[in-house]
Amino acid sequence: MAPLSDTDTTSGESDAPQALPGDGLREGIIDDLRQRIGDALIETHIVPNDDLTVRVSNESWAATGAALKAAGFTFFSWLSGIDWMPSPYGTGEEDPTAERDAIDMTIKQGVCGGDTRMQVLARLTDLNRHVGITLKADVDDENPVIDSWTGSFAGANWHERECHEMFGIGFNNHPDLRNMYLPGDFEGYPLRKDFPLLARMVKPWPGIVDVEPMPVQEEEDES
Amino acid sequence: MTMMSDRQQLSYIASQAADARLNVELETEGMTLNIGPQHPATHGTLRIIARLDGEQVIWAEPVAGYMHRGYEKLTEVRTFPQVTTLINRIDWLGSFANEVPFILAAEKLMEIEAPPRAQVIRTILFELSRIANVSLFLGDLGVQMGAVTPVFLAFRDREYVLNLIEGATGGRFHPNFDRIGGLKDDLPKGWIDETKQVMKKLIGFCDENENLLFGNEIFQSRMRGIGVIPADIAKEYGLSGANLRASGVDYDLRRDQDIALSYDLADWKVWTHPDGDSWARCWIRLQETRESCKIVLQLLDQIPAGPIMTKVPRIIKVPEGEAYVSTENPLGEMGYYVASKGGLGPFRVKIRSASFSNMSITPWVLKGVYVPDIVTILASLYFILGDIDR
Amino acid sequence: MGLIDKGRMPAPLTKLFNISRSYSLWVYQWGLACCAIEMGAAFASPRYDVMRLGVIPLPASPRQADFVCVSGTVTDKMAPAVKRLWEQMPEPKYAISMGSCANCGGPYWDSYSVTKGIDQIIPIDVYVPGCPPRPEALLEGIVLLQQRIKNEDMQAKWQGDPFTTLQATRAAERGELSAGDSTGETTHDISTDPQPIPERNRPEPIVVGGGPIE
Repeated sequence: MAPLSDTDTTSGESDAPQALPGDGLREGIIDDLRQRIGDALIETHIVPNDDLTVRVSNESWAATGAALKAAGFTFFSWLSGIDWMPSPYGTGEEDPTAERDAIDMTIKQGVCGGDTRMQVLARLTDLNRHVGITLKADVDDENPVIDSWTGSFAGANWHERECHEMFGIGFNNHPDLRNMYLPGDFEGYPLRKDFPLLARMVKPWPGIVDVEPMPVQEEEDES
Repeated sequence: MTMMSDRQQLSYIASQAADARLNVELETEGMTLNIGPQHPATHGTLRIIARLDGEQVIWAEPVAGYMHRGYEKLTEVRTFPQVTTLINRIDWLGSFANEVPFILAAEKLMEIEAPPRAQVIRTILFELSRIANVSLFLGDLGVQMGAVTPVFLAFRDREYVLNLIEGATGGRFHPNFDRIGGLKDDLPKGWIDETKQVMKKLIGFCDENENLLFGNEIFQSRMRGIGVIPADIAKEYGLSGANLRASGVDYDLRRDQDIALSYDLADWKVWTHPDGDSWARCWIRLQETRESCKIVLQLLDQIPAGPIMTKVPRIIKVPEGEAYVSTENPLGEMGYYVASKGGLGPFRVKIRSASFSNMSITPWVLKGVYVPDIVTILASLYFILGDIDR
Repeated sequence: MGLIDKGRMPAPLTKLFNISRSYSLWVYQWGLACCAIEMGAAFASPRYDVMRLGVIPLPASPRQADFVCVSGTVTDKMAPAVKRLWEQMPEPKYAISMGSCANCGGPYWDSYSVTKGIDQIIPIDVYVPGCPPRPEALLEGIVLLQQRIKNEDMQAKWQGDPFTTLQATRAAERGELSAGDSTGETTHDISTDPQPIPERNRPEPIVVGGGPIE
């Protein structure tokens, strides 16, 4: 059994009283979800009185959507993906012609962890309790496929099409996984980190560091 | 909130019946109608392909992507202060409102908060951009029905609001005024008095528009009972903002979430409408413009003294973490999911734009309507192309 | 216009045509992004009111338009449509590129889906820089375009010769200038010639506010 809530990552917050009403609300949501989907719930993360993130297994993605809808999260906010691999091209702020230090390519997943390079993210909101939940699920590196949510939330249709186009993540049982944005002859998945921005490859970015002074700092400098 | 009003129920049944009838009747050779990508009725470059049976739409599909500029990728190669310049241009009618949720997300990750004065000024500018945005919608609405006068009135009165935004921020269209930790500058002298006068003018504009447009018989008969969206369908598609409230869902992120903006200082009302039709969506927006004027008028008297910028390092590095912040933008819920790895720029920004979800319902809502209603339904759903395609 | 074909276009007539052309410009609005709203403000708002300059912003189709105002970001998906629109417009035709995105890509200079500069697709006469430009800047661009039209040598333009001003052609006729290759020696008979009118040699574009476009 995974811990109910992993508040260790927010070390500053852990001293705060745990019995806050928002906390109880979010822990209740997690308990409820655990009853509905069981061990498919891998990891949870609560920012007290603020936010809730949950990671579920790839296989239970569709079931999680249906379970949360039944639990009151009827408002479908968005669905997207994330590529946790560091960009092999850096941030694009260096001179492209200059020698570059080796970039640390270790993949480090964010809140709630993960095992794969890419993850699918989604957010649902309960409009009555005014609480949102962010969901994550791993997708396989070799064969990035996950179940579609269109059965539970019809609005996921366009979001999944977008995610498919941007990350190359496939969605099982999606009615119509066409490209949405880019012209037909476009190659590659733009939001993957290994997709290069060609304009940055040939021309250095002039605004390397934002040098505009902040108003407060100006006053400090004067005094 | 799954209750449907009588009107909603009737229209819903009527559209279902139209659907069924189409299946039963002899299949005729359909016609495919292409609207766009550049068409006055599409507010930009949305293309709609509709398959028709006579005058009735049996299948419609918007083709987006003509304005896809790759914001989410570009934010990964910008620093945090540079991102605001970029995201200003997502919803280009209410630019300032685009900056606020991103800045709030960055502030949340940095665990800082803007001083009270900056928060109130932020809220005022946020509402001003809502007024600038929705007033143009109210004018444009007339054009969709063939009435040209409202758009002239809207442009006339919108200029006053743009002047205010320009006076305070220096930017008429894209202010880029919000900073992590506060605002770029304080308000100029005399701005508060001028704003009060303009707000009274804008309330007058709303009255004028209501008499001119909303009281018009043709307008009503083209809007009432057209394009009904029941509440549970609206939620499933992620409709937000006025479109959701017009379906009877009482949800407004300005009121219903704890956020570092000063809406609790003002006394205002969240309007809802039970019908869920085109008319309700437009009517809600009209009322919201009025409410926004009232919010601004109240907040102008409550701007606290103090600094407008909290202490932030000269070069902003946002600590590692993830945050999602959304606000009630003119078009609906706009949110930024910001993942940072402790660098100068964000690792990934997912932009949840309102129009994208609002438009994803069009294949559903356009099914079974008549061709002239396509225009009114699209107008009432109200989208901005940059907000769909990003 | 037999006179033009035969190369005997009287100067006063040209002047008259030019004046009437420059003050009845029908503009096709190709509004794409943020700039479209500023263009709308310039064209439809009572404060700026483009009609006082003799510009009519309401043609029903590009086939009725004299110039096109491309305002906003042109994406790679949209570019073929812009090209097609331009090909539908009858000569003489002009193009104004409004805003940094249309000029050179603007803030999306490194984007994977944005065409960096509309001038890769269609020839541009006036560039209006800004992000977005104020309506006044667009009006200035239109006034500069009108000044250019007023000085144009219609005959040379019709024949597809390099752009010359009326004054230059007349000076060449009088023998004051040597480069007088546009006096009508190569008459272009459109009634028998199956070739389309060649894309005219475009003059140097105007930049509102001066300075080069980078």
